[in-house]
Amino acid sequence: MKQVLIFAEQTAGELRPVALELLGAGRQLADKLGASLSCVVMGTAIAHLPAALIAAGADLVYLADNPALETYRTLPYRRVFIDLIASMEEPPHIILLGSTTTGRDLAPRIAAYLETGLTADCTELDIGPYEHTSAQDPSKVGLYKNCLYAIRPSFGESLKARILGPWKNPQMATVRPGVMVALPRDATRQGTVQEIPVNLSTEDLGLVVLETLRAVSESVELAKADVIVSGGYGLGSTEGFVLMHELASCFENSAVGSSRKAVDSGWIAHAHQVGQTGKTVRPKLYIACGISGAIQHRVGMDKSATIIAINRDAYAPIFKFAHFGIVGDLYQIIPEMIQQLKQGSVPSNFSKTGETNVLTHTL
Amino acid sequence: MNSFVLIKQVPDQSAKAGVNADGTIDRAKAKRMLNPFDCFALEAALQTKRLYGATVTAITMGPPPAIEILYEAIAHGVDQAVHLCDRRLAASDTLATAYALYNTVRYAGDFDLVFCGLQTTDGDTAQVGPQLAERLQVPQVTYCESFEIQGEKLIARRVTESGTQVVQCPLPAVVTVANSAHRLAYRTLRGVQRVHQLQRDEVERNQVIQTVSLDDIQADPARCGLKGSPTIVAATEKVGEIGGKCVLFQGKPIEAMVSDLLADISLVELVQR
Repeated sequence: MKQVLIFAEQTAGELRPVALELLGAGRQLADKLGASLSCVVMGTAIAHLPAALIAAGADLVYLADNPALETYRTLPYRRVFIDLIASMEEPPHIILLGSTTTGRDLAPRIAAYLETGLTADCTELDIGPYEHTSAQDPSKVGLYKNCLYAIRPSFGESLKARILGPWKNPQMATVRPGVMVALPRDATRQGTVQEIPVNLSTEDLGLVVLETLRAVSESVELAKADVIVSGGYGLGSTEGFVLMHELASCFENSAVGSSRKAVDSGWIAHAHQVGQTGKTVRPKLYIACGISGAIQHRVGMDKSATIIAINRDAYAPIFKFAHFGIVGDLYQIIPEMIQQLKQGSVPSNFSKTGETNVLTHTL
Repeated sequence: MNSFVLIKQVPDQSAKAGVNADGTIDRAKAKRMLNPFDCFALEAALQTKRLYGATVTAITMGPPPAIEILYEAIAHGVDQAVHLCDRRLAASDTLATAYALYNTVRYAGDFDLVFCGLQTTDGDTAQVGPQLAERLQVPQVTYCESFEIQGEKLIARRVTESGTQVVQCPLPAVVTVANSAHRLAYRTLRGVQRVHQLQRDEVERNQVIQTVSLDDIQADPARCGLKGSPTIVAATEKVGEIGGKCVLFQGKPIEAMVSDLLADISLVELVQR
């Protein structure tokens, strides 16, 4: 039977949210294909995880429980993964991993080993037909049913690309965390658990993890914040973020974000980065200051309930998807905004100092 | 000690030139630049030169103008370079790219470390580094922020979503460098002078920058370019506008625009969008 295989990432015996999101997405693909949905989970002392994975949609859980797999390391996980695929009668139709640092580390190794296609950081997945007609490579011409449509933001300012590789299975993709929707937990679901062998060579164990340090709380704040004030390249310097913090402090439960260009310029730490290579956020209010709104940033924040953009360039792409915009110099606009917010002319649920407002009830 | 650094020339996305009406990029018209992520990889490779006396070789794959970034790398202190330039590489996806680069690395000789940028700004996949490591059959350290070499081992600090991790990795290895790592230092005077010299002296240039074809590196053309790529971009579509039309304030006094905006948001249902 056709299989859709998911890599279920866990740390310290706890499933990452993306594992459940992938099962949600994988379930839809498997049902469309008439395939079974399986997942592989690796670690140590994780015998409790298969039940949770089955309740989240898996038909079959491959379990690799071994002390050498306690902390993620490329080569041991790679070995178990490729041994699993080699043990199958036919390769899975589709393999999905999360685009976490772990998924982005592991997926390309497996795809290169299997010499198959891999699409990074997908935001949508589907199954459908594809007819290849280009005569540039005659070996590829033909009609293919049941292709994985791997859809991702693409180079350029506002493009999505549909990437296909139906010529060889597995068709692989990594999927952005926070985009797919997990199924409601169903403890009555039935599934099978199969323990898989762990045979690691000396080379597989060459890399040793010496130390793990937990992240500062900042990154957590960004995901949970109701209001995010984000600064981009238009700030011009690191001092601009002082202003971002000042504006953010006008709101309850707020945080400061940034675009990648501001991070690349060294103005703010990577933990603040929103977008394709940073975090996906969906706050109640997102204020984008000096951010052009390239697709790479947009995918990380366009689910925000309200987006306000402040930009000098009236033709900046951000104004195409922001709800509100002010065209002008952010160094004039934001101090004015801070002043007016402090005077209390804003929704009380957003402002520490606001008094009353219609909005209160809609929140 | 030998360090390789893989770099790529990418279109400059901040420039308006070369952007077609449908949002795609006309690479022939677009301004070109060194992939910003590769600056961190270049700096890491140059650190091995400064601290451990490594010989640094920059490797790129791209059309003839890509020599510009090799000059830039030499201006920063890279010792030598290999430019893989072959029409048959056109339309390579990450698997085909990693195969071609694998053969280029083998052609360039023995290495202790291969540094790559985390990803490119035109592909944004972060896949080629690990795919290259797989072909080379060596361990990898991705998202590396800082490192040192102790004996035959690399001690590296990685950044992940949940924090940082310190790993000890045997050499040789592939390292992809995070954009929170050291920033690229200025060009060196000596490096800049050397580039001027190379631009004048063709014989010396050919010694320092080797331009090679798929035949030179003994790569199988069937595994490169369009033929060697298991994936294709089947379609692109414009991302539609969301949230309706933007309510735009412009051309009025700042104070009025801000108060209009703040008055207006108070009327919007913020959660139910």
